[in-house]
Amino acid sequence: MRIGAVAAKEFWALVRQPQLLLLLLVGPVLIMTAFGLSLDVRDILRPRALVVVKPGSEGAELFERYREEFTDRTQFVGTTGDLESARRRLQRGEVDAVITIPPDPLGTVASGERTPLGVVYNTINPVFGTRVPARAYALVLDLNQSLIETTIGGEIGNLRTIQERLNELDRRLEEASAAAEELASEEAQTVTTELDEALATLEGSLGALEESEAVEGDVSETLRGINDAQNVLGEVREVQREGTIGERSGLTDLRESVNSAQEALAALPDDVSPQVLTNPFRLETENLATPPDVVGFYARGVLAILVQHISVSLASLAVVRERLSGAYEFFEVSPLRPGELLAGQFLTYLGLVLGVNLAVAAVLAGFLGVPVEGGYLRMAFAMVLLTVASLGLGFLISALAKSQLQAVQVSMLLLIASGFFAGFLFPLSEMRGPGVLVSNFLPATYGIRALQDVMIRGETVSTYDLAGLGAMAIVALGAARFFVGRRKH
Amino acid sequence: MAAIRAEGLVKRFGGEEVLKGVDLSVEEGEIFGLIGPSGAGKSTLMRSLTGYLSPTQGEVEVLGRAPVAFGPKEKRRVGYMPQGFVLYGQLSVRQNLNFVAGLYGLRFGERRRRVRETLEFVELWEHRRKVAGDVSGGMQRRLQLAAAIVHEPELLFVDEPTANLDPILRRRFWEEFRSLRDEGRTIFVTTQYVGEAELCDRVGLLAGGSIVAAGTPDELRHQAFGGENIELHVAGEPSRLTEHLGLLEDLGSDVEVRGGQNGKGEAVSVVRLLVDDADSKLPEVLKAFDWADIRSANVPKPSFDEVFFRLVREQ
Repeated sequence: MRIGAVAAKEFWALVRQPQLLLLLLVGPVLIMTAFGLSLDVRDILRPRALVVVKPGSEGAELFERYREEFTDRTQFVGTTGDLESARRRLQRGEVDAVITIPPDPLGTVASGERTPLGVVYNTINPVFGTRVPARAYALVLDLNQSLIETTIGGEIGNLRTIQERLNELDRRLEEASAAAEELASEEAQTVTTELDEALATLEGSLGALEESEAVEGDVSETLRGINDAQNVLGEVREVQREGTIGERSGLTDLRESVNSAQEALAALPDDVSPQVLTNPFRLETENLATPPDVVGFYARGVLAILVQHISVSLASLAVVRERLSGAYEFFEVSPLRPGELLAGQFLTYLGLVLGVNLAVAAVLAGFLGVPVEGGYLRMAFAMVLLTVASLGLGFLISALAKSQLQAVQVSMLLLIASGFFAGFLFPLSEMRGPGVLVSNFLPATYGIRALQDVMIRGETVSTYDLAGLGAMAIVALGAARFFVGRRKH
Repeated sequence: MAAIRAEGLVKRFGGEEVLKGVDLSVEEGEIFGLIGPSGAGKSTLMRSLTGYLSPTQGEVEVLGRAPVAFGPKEKRRVGYMPQGFVLYGQLSVRQNLNFVAGLYGLRFGERRRRVRETLEFVELWEHRRKVAGDVSGGMQRRLQLAAAIVHEPELLFVDEPTANLDPILRRRFWEEFRSLRDEGRTIFVTTQYVGEAELCDRVGLLAGGSIVAAGTPDELRHQAFGGENIELHVAGEPSRLTEHLGLLEDLGSDVEVRGGQNGKGEAVSVVRLLVDDADSKLPEVLKAFDWADIRSANVPKPSFDEVFFRLVREQ
């Protein structure tokens, strides 16, 4: 019964606060919707890549041949021949990776070395930052595989031609060897000698018969035939004697074939290692930034979110508390101006939050050993900027809230939104649509980036973040002043 | 000169008209009490006079200027004690008063002096180090009063200062108001204790969003009853007086006679009549009854509750 009474009281108290109910319902729904619409998981792992390749070179030809390998693995931005401009775009954050293809990749392989595929990226994120080298490694594997497939197809054709030539060579070699063996044999030489001697005896006998005129008819015709036979026989003997049997039996052609086959084989790289042949490309990565460890990286985000949350929470209760306690009515009658009230509260909260910042920074640097590359002065500057903008936002919430619960609720929603959309959990570069819109209104978005620039990269706060936080502080404080002063019934 | 002047003051919240053409004038150096039933619009009227609320219609002038247009200089001439305790329970009594003195621009030396003087005036100096959240409700109200007067305002708005306080403390508050009035300050005070109207120099009765009566307490009483009563206690039965009543009806109205007994068991007649001015008519009444044995004659003052009830009922 008593529990029921309390439950009913709570229910009606909530129902009587439609704005709070609306916030309770709409706030989380909006955040979830924006989150769903803002993150494309497929794109998270595909860096924006710019390919640097010399136009008209063998590298450019290779890129065109394997273009899909590049475009499928990345969000392909385009090609350029200017490496320096590509690196500048990388430093400006317009692309995530610059891939450099050498002008003569196959020549390098032919000389026995693996061709370097240069991949330059610029990230300090030790988690999401690994996607560029990971993707680049996969790209090199793909390229190597594709290259091997197409190259082996071509080379198999060449080997077939060489094989056919060798078969012909083998056949002709066999014939020539048989002929040479036959002509050059001892038996053939004996027969040749005996035949030569017989022909000489026959020529002598016929010569004597012709002189004795004992034989009727024309003997001279027969003698010419013998002479011809002797001449042929002489050539045979000369070949046998001089060893030119190879040339005359086709061995010269055979040598040419052999030379040709040797040239074909010489065309193949003879001292290329199997590793080069199977992996013609190798990956050369370069990160322009020096990423810290995971704790070091996320510590800045935690710091920025803490600063924002403490500032917003403090300031969001400031005015609404005075209004609900009745003190604001007292102030309205006193000479205190709304701007003076805000300024007084602002100064105290600024001092308080900066004190907290100092303590947190001391823990970061002293206990966790997180380095501050850009120096403590720059870090303090970034934190002051973030604190001022966050306090401004808190005061604006306070000026508009109708109850402390409402102010607390909005502060909590802001904290949750910052976790998702300020670049703390997911890189801002992966945000799309509503997520980007929301991120622009969160001090932590600028604060995280500013602290990363200062603490990790060792740079000063960028003009963009300076302007963002400055504009947010001016607009929020101005609007808070307007709404606090306007609430006259 | 009027410290406060309102003419045809209308204040609406949404469709609800809380003040319906209030006409009011408060002179410098007087305590003006605003009484009225709960929900009559007393706090709304006071907030309209302090400049916290803008009038929907009509004119308001405080110290010669519309209070919504007050700058810091004019605001320093005004003090305000809201209905509840709106200072800071976490701060000490002195810290709270220091803060308020700072709001009104008192510099360090002067602030120190005034904080002490004011705390002594409201008898809180001994409790100056106590945390305001820990002191009694009465002390908190006195601290709130101190906050309203620490800068020595010419005009003080006090909203129900004695609500929920015991009679002794209420009396002390009124002593303090009179003391401030004697210093030449103007005090505009609302109260739900109708009897406190008697302690004011002038009183306005707010009912249904309008001032239904305004004047000194006696003027209001006169207005409520149409004059003042004279009461005679005469020895003997009322029947003895019958033939003389005609004389009284020439002197006043609403002549009433009733019989009774005194403490000794003797018959007594009580004669009451309403006259315009009791002080001037009493001798004539006594003369008309010089033949009778008059045991006592007085001018009874009806309670302000009765006055209030009559005026509101008439409205």
